[in-house]
Amino acid sequence: MITREPEDFPPPRNWVANFGRMTLFMLRNTGRAILLLFEAVLQLPFIFVPRTRREIILQMYVGGIKSLGVITVVAGFTGMILALQTGIELRKYGQEVNIGAAVMVSMLREMGPFMTGLIVAASVGSAYAAQMGTMVVSEEIAALEIMSINPVRFLVLPRLVALAIMTPLLSFYSCLMGVLGGALVGKTQLGVAWVAYWQNATRYADTKDLYVGVFKAFMFGIIITIVACHQGFSTTQGAVGVGNATRRTVILSFLTILIVGYFITRFFYV
Amino acid sequence: MIQFEQVTKTLGGRKVLDAIDLEVRDGETLAIVGPSGTGKSVTLKHMVRLMTPDAGQVLVGGEPISEATGRDLERLREKFGVLFQGGALLEWLNVFENVALPLREKTQTGEEEIVSRVREKLRLVGLDQDELKHPSEISGGMRKRAGLARAIIRNPEIILYDEPTSGLDPVSARTIDALIDDMRQKLTVTSVVVTHDLHSALSIATRIAMLSEGRIVELATPEDFIKSKVEAVVRFLEAQYITTRGSWEKHTNETKNR
Repeated sequence: MITREPEDFPPPRNWVANFGRMTLFMLRNTGRAILLLFEAVLQLPFIFVPRTRREIILQMYVGGIKSLGVITVVAGFTGMILALQTGIELRKYGQEVNIGAAVMVSMLREMGPFMTGLIVAASVGSAYAAQMGTMVVSEEIAALEIMSINPVRFLVLPRLVALAIMTPLLSFYSCLMGVLGGALVGKTQLGVAWVAYWQNATRYADTKDLYVGVFKAFMFGIIITIVACHQGFSTTQGAVGVGNATRRTVILSFLTILIVGYFITRFFYV
Repeated sequence: MIQFEQVTKTLGGRKVLDAIDLEVRDGETLAIVGPSGTGKSVTLKHMVRLMTPDAGQVLVGGEPISEATGRDLERLREKFGVLFQGGALLEWLNVFENVALPLREKTQTGEEEIVSRVREKLRLVGLDQDELKHPSEISGGMRKRAGLARAIIRNPEIILYDEPTSGLDPVSARTIDALIDDMRQKLTVTSVVVTHDLHSALSIATRIAMLSEGRIVELATPEDFIKSKVEAVVRFLEAQYITTRGSWEKHTNETKNR
């Protein structure tokens, strides 16, 4: 059951008790989020139901296509900054032609998935949390449960599948935009020809970089959906609670993305 | 139909329900009244296992819903239709889609049959002209009526109403009262109405239970309820009823004559 009864605890006696309680709450919430993920995975066979399929496509549009604008700007400028910073240093040694490799490898391995993850967490994740939170507050989730409609299948599954598909695609797109931004700066500021930039970029980038980056983005999509839905479902205290759930979603998604991103890099490259 | 056996519930360090025994009989309309914060909605939530008792049990048709899980809980919940305070309609679906939702999600009913059943229920609650509107485009009273249409779409045996007239103007509130009465007569369902609107309770209920400090202090027919000597009931009547006694009698007579 998603709908939970209100909890009440006596105020902690001292800071040690308070710290202990916070730790236990954190562990409990982590456990609940993991269980939510498992439950959503168990519902995967239902993605072929027409309503779920339509909802997945709608969520892919809302979460993915609508994020294209901001991702284009952020990725483009990130690529430009990367190219400019590395280019200025490399020019001292007459090696500015190598900015292609620097931009491509940075974008594919780290910057692309991270930027996409952070943007999706801030824009889509927060919206998911606010929507779920409002549905809890206005008893829509309780109504679904009484109608025996599983909220995980009805709400979480389409969003999970949509972001698991769209985040890697957005990540790839952000890499492309970053590389193009770098090429633009290379050409206009550093005098690196398009062809030289592109040859350099493709020579040093490995297909493994692409796969790992896409895998990272896939994981980030799952993390964002589960954190957002879990926080939304845990909402209490009306409008203030919805605000808190949204804020916590962004913070927790950012932290989890950074930590998981580090471990994926460590696993594949060390 | 529904039985509470020594049900106790503590929330926020306060006993909201204190070993209450209550029986909702087949086909009756039981109104649960009392001031705010006396556990009326908590009682209602126990009936559909949105809450579980700390002690005691809740039986539906002789089966303990308070201990049911999985398919058993699903089966027991199918007996219920619930009208929530705000209607609890899904904002991104229109009125028609909201009402059709339980049929589309939980049954194999064909689309033609769905359309006919949804239109029939919308006609029953007077929303047949508004089926394409979204919840944000209709009034509070209409939202509740749409919520009611959704609650009865699968022909439940029991309908629970959580503060059905709260936040409504007197005319809309009386419309909802009349609908609750209609549901009992036309669909022959058992109804439980949680309300602090005594005027409404006296008009529609066959029995009224008064909750005070976690206990049921009075359980009687409307006629006996207004004659009650229980102090909490007298105070509650004085607070709401003395000024409306005449209008209640007039309204009840009008409802009965309709």
